[in-house]
Amino acid sequence: MTLTGMKKHVGVLEDAGLVATEKVGRVRTCRLGPRQLDEVTAWIDRYRRVWTERFDELDQVIEDMKQKEKERQR
Amino acid sequence: MKYETRVEQTSEREIVITRTFNASARIVFEAWTTGELMRRWWVPKSAGITLLSCEIDARVGGSYRFVFQAEPEPVAFFGRYLEVSPYTRLVWTNGESGEAGQLSTLTFEELGDTTRIVLHELYPSAEALEAGKGAYDGMSETFEQLDAVLAS
Repeated sequence: MTLTGMKKHVGVLEDAGLVATEKVGRVRTCRLGPRQLDEVTAWIDRYRRVWTERFDELDQVIEDMKQKEKERQR
Repeated sequence: MKYETRVEQTSEREIVITRTFNASARIVFEAWTTGELMRRWWVPKSAGITLLSCEIDARVGGSYRFVFQAEPEPVAFFGRYLEVSPYTRLVWTNGESGEAGQLSTLTFEELGDTTRIVLHELYPSAEALEAGKGAYDGMSETFEQLDAVLAS
């Protein structure tokens, strides 16, 4: 990875609050930011959970719709 | 068979949800644009939340309004359809102004006997996305309680 690429990566992580950086002289040090990664993934997990439940119900609704159409065609 | 629900945060203000269904795009589209059908799946039974009404007028400029039972008074979710292209694409706002809430873009892609939907939830800012997370916390807590009941 190039230095520019690295800077860009760190910048994205910093914007997301996942790392914090500090420049002392020519050296920029990174440490874990105020937001922890598991906090982020936990939220996405909850979000996925809600949508998974929703879509599992939608599967049922769709099966019923298909069944009704079949009956109508008979 | 059940398909996987994929959720990705693609930027600090966008979330993308992808899922495939065993039906034509016409059927899946209908399930998203008919109030009587949507009320059967939008709030999963296991969430323990009562949907009092679900009105959808899926035309460009038409609005939708979902009313949930809550204390001390019912809560309404509403918005407007900006684009309605039958069986391919829907765009709607969340909230009256369209500024505070996210913009939802839903596309339907028929692949053989199945339809893949991709839902983009674009928030006006990273802060708005953060604020929007609260709504999901409540719902998933209910699922977790259900898990606990099923496990015991």
